[in-house]
Amino acid sequence: MEQNNKLLEVKNLVKIFVIGSGFVRSKITAVEDVSFDLKSGKPEIFTLAGESGSGKTTLARMILGFIPPSSGSVLYKGKEINRLNGREMELWFMREVQPVFQNPFETFNPLKKVDSYLYETVVNYGIANKKNAFKPIDEALNLVGLSLQEVSGRYPHEFSGGQLQRISIARALITKPALLIADEPVSMVDASLKMSICNLFKELKEKQGVSIIYITHDLATAYYVSDRIAIMFRGNIVELGSVEKILTDPKHPYTKILRDSVPEPDPERKWQGRIELSSFEEKEYQSRGCKFAGRCPYVMDICKSKMPEDILVDGRLVKCYLYTPNLNKAIV
Amino acid sequence: MTILKTENLKAYYITEIFGIKRIVKAVDGVSIDINNNEIFGIAGESGCGKSTLIKTLLGIVKPPLTVLGGDVNYSIDDKRFNILSLSPRELKNIRWEYISYIPQSSMSVLNPVRRIRDSFKSFINAHKKIEKKEFKNLVEDHLNALGLPVEVLNAYPHQLSGGMRQRVTIALATILKPKVIFADEPSTALDVVVQRGVIQLLKDIQEEQKNTIILVTHDMAIHANICDRIAIMYAGKIIEDAKTEDIFKHPLHPYTKYLIGSLPKIGDKSYKVSAPGSPPPLSNLPPGCSFHPRCPYTTERCKKDIPSLVEVDSSHRVACFLVSKEG
Repeated sequence: MEQNNKLLEVKNLVKIFVIGSGFVRSKITAVEDVSFDLKSGKPEIFTLAGESGSGKTTLARMILGFIPPSSGSVLYKGKEINRLNGREMELWFMREVQPVFQNPFETFNPLKKVDSYLYETVVNYGIANKKNAFKPIDEALNLVGLSLQEVSGRYPHEFSGGQLQRISIARALITKPALLIADEPVSMVDASLKMSICNLFKELKEKQGVSIIYITHDLATAYYVSDRIAIMFRGNIVELGSVEKILTDPKHPYTKILRDSVPEPDPERKWQGRIELSSFEEKEYQSRGCKFAGRCPYVMDICKSKMPEDILVDGRLVKCYLYTPNLNKAIV
Repeated sequence: MTILKTENLKAYYITEIFGIKRIVKAVDGVSIDINNNEIFGIAGESGCGKSTLIKTLLGIVKPPLTVLGGDVNYSIDDKRFNILSLSPRELKNIRWEYISYIPQSSMSVLNPVRRIRDSFKSFINAHKKIEKKEFKNLVEDHLNALGLPVEVLNAYPHQLSGGMRQRVTIALATILKPKVIFADEPSTALDVVVQRGVIQLLKDIQEEQKNTIILVTHDMAIHANICDRIAIMYAGKIIEDAKTEDIFKHPLHPYTKYLIGSLPKIGDKSYKVSAPGSPPPLSNLPPGCSFHPRCPYTTERCKKDIPSLVEVDSSHRVACFLVSKEG
């Protein structure tokens, strides 16, 4: 195996969806040139944050190998995941990288007992045969604060959303993965139980050494759980760096607007000023330059014609011409 | 001045299949007073009965939902009525003109194959006979007042962005200047930036028309931003209601304390604890206080008796034996 100190490397990943056929064909660039990496040896929680339609779920699906990228590559422990040869390697990758889905009520078939999913995972990944499955399942459930005794023989409707999400995470942990990809794991969980799932992720990182890619639109929980964050907008990462820096002092104009729109749970810190919204569905996907140019208060001519490069500003990457040196620009 | 008052309102879902009777106590003894010219927030987790409460307050009571006790008394201007005793015809006259409703999903209100203009037309014509010119003025003035472009009238719903659609729905619900507006999770399905725009619009309407908005959402941060008073609902009951500042600064009920204490904030990485356990199913509530299995301060009394909502401070009511020292 080639020497590599990266757990996951995403290189210039692109996904273009073609909609319709014949004369009414149109292309949507869901993910446009995304690159980032996670180091191995040092587990971290990496957040992909963005609004609906920013391409975060498509990106996650490509990292999991569910859909092939249009171009670019995903390397897991130095291996290109779309070129894994043989069943053996595929199983290895699937064991190492596990998904956690958004809606726990949709993850489980309501007519099947919950524990059947756990047994299936054990058998399908060849961890143990059905007779010896008890131990790995119970261990995984213990990690999320449950036990097989509590879960055994019960149907999904007998659990609350929070418990089901825990079982869903336990299922992912059975294969002892090094990386979890959790797509909006708390958005369907009750408010009073949300933080317990967030705490569980932190615990998994610290005690089990599992890295997590946490995908969310909720910046407040992102701030709470994650180490680094990537803000996505229309298929691009516009700002990437430590969560403290980006959310307390955003640099990209889009991140600023996003940050200012997050309501604070504090009646003394209400929203200040007003915002303007666009009226009609915008064709932001099709613009060639910066996708945010149409809404940006600091827009310049160059923004509309050419995509900006990533620039290192104050320890984080920002994709904006405002920070390009030697360019005539409006004052930030 | 009180515009809406309920006393010990009980609305249960009662079903009987093959002789097995099932009772879901979705609204179980709710007493609230909502004042004129205020934004009243109702907060609670999914499945705590907040949508059923809204339905009952709106007078949409159809089997299996059954009202077992209590009235829903409105006093709008000089009209006084109990919405639960009105005939369907009277209800139709009151809805939209006096009492209006903003749903979560705008697509369930706007007809996808008709222009926005036609939706406005059918809305208004159901209540008023007006001339074409008068209609144009009324609608355009209203849209201008809300800061929405008049061109949306010629658009089909799919041509509008999600936020615009939701704002058009709000414009539609407020065109007849209703006195009471119910908004059920109006911004939940929207992106953060758009959510802010929608909430801003609701606030503008309230300030301009001086009416009452009853805002239901599970997002406490939205409540903090626009509500004057908040009621916290748990397992079909109101367990605490107070001014927004009091709920956030001095929550009294243990459940409210957990709820407020576990809210994540940007700039605050301190450890947050969620309430232990999970909310009980409404069809099988524990005896006594429904929160007692999850409460760290449970006493013997909590397991037997149900605490009533009592005033502990000026306009701060709590249903908890710990705080109320009742009995």
